[in-house]
Amino acid sequence: MEELLTILNDVDDSIDWEHEEGLIDNRILDSFGVISLVAELDETFDIEIEASEIIPQNFNSVQAIYAMVKRLQEN
Amino acid sequence: MAYHEVTYLFLFLPLVLIAYQIVPQKRRWCVLLLAGYAFFWSFSKSLVLVLMATSMFTHYIGLWLERVKEDGDKKKQKWILFFGVFVLLAVLGYLKYANFFVENVNGLLTAVGKSGMALETKKIAVPIGISFYTLQAIGYMADVYWGKIPAERHLGKVALFLGFFPQIMEGPIAMYSQTADALWSGESLKSENLAQGSIRILWGLFKKMIIADRLYYLVTEVFDHYENYSGAIVIVAAVSYAVQLYMEFSGCMDIVIGSGQMFGVRLPENFNQPFASKSAAEFWRRWHMTLGVWFKTYVFYPVSVSPFMRKWNKFGKKHVGKYMTKLVGSAIALFPVWLFNGLWHGPQWNYIFYGMYYFVILLLEVACEPLKEKFYAKTGTSETTGWWNVLRIAKTWIIIFTGELFFRANTLTAGFSMFASIFRGFAPERLWDGTLLRMGLDLADYSIIIAGCIVVGIVGHLREKKKLSLDQIAGMRLPARWGLYYALIFAVILFGAYGVGYQQVDLIYAGF
Repeated sequence: MEELLTILNDVDDSIDWEHEEGLIDNRILDSFGVISLVAELDETFDIEIEASEIIPQNFNSVQAIYAMVKRLQEN
Repeated sequence: MAYHEVTYLFLFLPLVLIAYQIVPQKRRWCVLLLAGYAFFWSFSKSLVLVLMATSMFTHYIGLWLERVKEDGDKKKQKWILFFGVFVLLAVLGYLKYANFFVENVNGLLTAVGKSGMALETKKIAVPIGISFYTLQAIGYMADVYWGKIPAERHLGKVALFLGFFPQIMEGPIAMYSQTADALWSGESLKSENLAQGSIRILWGLFKKMIIADRLYYLVTEVFDHYENYSGAIVIVAAVSYAVQLYMEFSGCMDIVIGSGQMFGVRLPENFNQPFASKSAAEFWRRWHMTLGVWFKTYVFYPVSVSPFMRKWNKFGKKHVGKYMTKLVGSAIALFPVWLFNGLWHGPQWNYIFYGMYYFVILLLEVACEPLKEKFYAKTGTSETTGWWNVLRIAKTWIIIFTGELFFRANTLTAGFSMFASIFRGFAPERLWDGTLLRMGLDLADYSIIIAGCIVVGIVGHLREKKKLSLDQIAGMRLPARWGLYYALIFAVILFGAYGVGYQQVDLIYAGF
């Protein structure tokens, strides 16, 4: 989780990643932010996030992002 | 039989509602499907076969994808999806763009002195709404491929998803998961749905018939005789067209969504106060929203996570830094979105230019992001500073009106000519020397347009602040609610641009 938070803060340090639960729904993270984040996650965690994974449920909170990363690492 | 016509509102829609209600619940989907094909037939006659064939093909591809998925062959699934998308785009491409392609090839041949080799153009009839249902069909296939939805076994359900009559002409472009189940369920009609649907339809007629159909005269006069106008008049025409298009398209969406609601089907919204946008990116999240979501889901994100982009991200981070990696990555993902967005509107160079115009502007917005942050830090302003947001909205309006000028222009050359003429002879006196009164509109028409826009603006503001919704209207006291109904009905009857002195104006987006 800490590694994930470091990446997230690197993408945008003005967002309260730990407490925000509507990153997509509240438009805190826009589509350009999402694709930057996906690129970082792919590289750091050695996963391949497919387009089908880019849905609000997977990116609305740090917990959701973490769960998606874990799931893709296990697959 | 367009959605704002008497035949649709007072004959077709009521008849379908009655037939739907008297048929057993299990068979109600048949009524909706038959109504869809009858509606389609009224415009495109036997081309309804193209829609039927598309439905069968889409259904088959879905089942094929599912079968191969069970075998676990990922590569084969990808090829099936490619095949499905290719066939649908080939049909769309041939019917809609073949002549455009031939005309441009002929232009090139003439330019190089080989006009003898020119190809012949053919008269091709294009089925109504092909651009809308093709995108829905591609979305369905991609969703099955991604495993977001299971493939549908029943052909009728896929056919109804693609051929629901309120959506045929102008969308909204729905995803299968948004509408298919509600369409299929055959829920009985409910009084609250009928009431809310009716008021939504009335609101749509208000925008279309009172405002848009009046502005049509001014817009047509200036854009069709642009050589006679310059400066302030061209600006008025560009602004008028943006307002006309909004009132018409969003008004049609109100009628469409209201029609769907009568059957208990919640169609996705297509507009959300677009003129309150503070940037071009925000504008496209509020204007023709379902097209934006479609492109984001099925083009932007797939390109963003493609192997090429992954390679670029790795390379860029090492060699050109974070900022350039993001900027170039955004450009690679945005370019196809805006090229297809332009082309989707039709086979004309000004539509392609319109797409590229937004591509450049959106990319500039991404490029200027660090500059904006620096500006905020230095001046103490932020995204919530009032005066700054007024300036941002004004800037976005200029972007919108300029874009719509090129979008509406008869040709790309005409668009450039009109744009240049703004700076050549501004001539503000033409705004009050009677020129505007020689465009088929009198002072009363202008007063009605302005009053109508004020009403729409107030309603938009209340909706933006979440102080007005159909549910809230339904919760009003009886006299207030009926007062509102009657006010809308009488407004449309008294101030609608129909009858002697006016002509019936076709729906603009139905042409796409």
